[in-house]
Amino acid sequence: MASNPMQQFSVHKIGPEIKIAGIDLSFTNASLFMVISAALIGIFLFLGTKEKKIIPDKIQLIAEMLYNFVAKMISDTAGSKAKPYFPFIFSLFMFVLLCNMVGMLPYSFTVTSHIIVTLIMALFIFIAVTIIGFFKHGFKYLSIFIPSGVPTVLLPLITIIEIISYLSRPVSLSVRLFANMMAGHTMLKVFGGFVISLGILGGWLPLSFSVALTGLEILVAFLQAYVFAILTCIYLNDALNLHH
Amino acid sequence: MKRYLALILVLSTIYTDLFSAEAGMPQLDPKYWASQAFWLILVFSILYISIAKFYLPKIKKNLDDRENKIKEDLDEANNMKSLSEKKLGEYNIILENSKKEVSKILLESKNALNKNIQNKKDSMEKEIENEISKAQKEILQLKKSSIESINNISQEIASNIIEKISGDKLNESSIKAVVEDISKKNIGKYL
Repeated sequence: MASNPMQQFSVHKIGPEIKIAGIDLSFTNASLFMVISAALIGIFLFLGTKEKKIIPDKIQLIAEMLYNFVAKMISDTAGSKAKPYFPFIFSLFMFVLLCNMVGMLPYSFTVTSHIIVTLIMALFIFIAVTIIGFFKHGFKYLSIFIPSGVPTVLLPLITIIEIISYLSRPVSLSVRLFANMMAGHTMLKVFGGFVISLGILGGWLPLSFSVALTGLEILVAFLQAYVFAILTCIYLNDALNLHH
Repeated sequence: MKRYLALILVLSTIYTDLFSAEAGMPQLDPKYWASQAFWLILVFSILYISIAKFYLPKIKKNLDDRENKIKEDLDEANNMKSLSEKKLGEYNIILENSKKEVSKILLESKNALNKNIQNKKDSMEKEIENEISKAQKEILQLKKSSIESINNISQEIASNIIEKISGDKLNESSIKAVVEDISKKNIGKYL
């Protein structure tokens, strides 16, 4: 079991089987780690907002820094019109970040290493952004497929490319996060396996790799959450501020 | 990331049981997709609602409160500063005015003193002049009276001498006239 690096991604049921309309909605280890991540966010924010101090303590400071970080990210990429979507972006960023970070703990499960999870988030963002775009601009929203300053000869080709790139947004968004998470964790597991198989004599080299990779993976965990959130902001910007 | 994938590929050939029957990619097994989707939507919705309705407004309020407090404090500090500047200006004005007054008083008293000295000097000079003129007058009078007495004495001596020489008594008025005439001629030498 330890030798299979993909074992860590397997989903299994915890507790009783829940079936609604013939669909298996059982509580699984994936669900458990979603709940854990969300609960950690809840506890963190609860502690961060428990006391309102003029001079913040550490946890309050971190909560406020995160708030300002996400607020700045949104205002930089999508402008002031994106303010109503701030809670969503904040929740999304925190959720992805915590899922990634919790996944870094040994014996835990990485929720975001599953394509279905990231795909649902990406699809939700894609559909929501498209609806917002049409809602704000009507059929003029379609003009994002026609970039300005393109020669007329190239226009059909460019438009097709633009449409394909637009439609591939949810795929790229979800696969980016999922693949990064899966690859990183597989690497860690493989090196962990090497440490065991090479034993006390030869195991030190893969162990040092493992340590370095853990650091890298923590960076990747943060970076991918940031990328996921900032790409959402960019898509939102396209829908809110139609400038081509 | 390409390097990762290449490494994984290499390692997977070493670990022959990597893609064994039970494993493959568990992510692509649709058995629990519905469950994951359901729980994701449920958990994320609860998280979103609690963050949007509860936590973010609190953080925002706290940040705003702090900003307001800082702004108020800054305003107060600015007010204090302008007030102290005003006070300083007033103080400077008072200082300047008093300086002016002092110099005015100094000038006035100097002038008064000068005037006083001048007055005193003038009156002193006048007094001295008076004294001098008085003395001169006295001297003149003395001289005059002495001339008269000299005239009288010379008359008497002259009449006595004439009487003794000639035995005749000469007319007194003619003697007087002669004496006066001589004295008048010679008086310039003494006066």
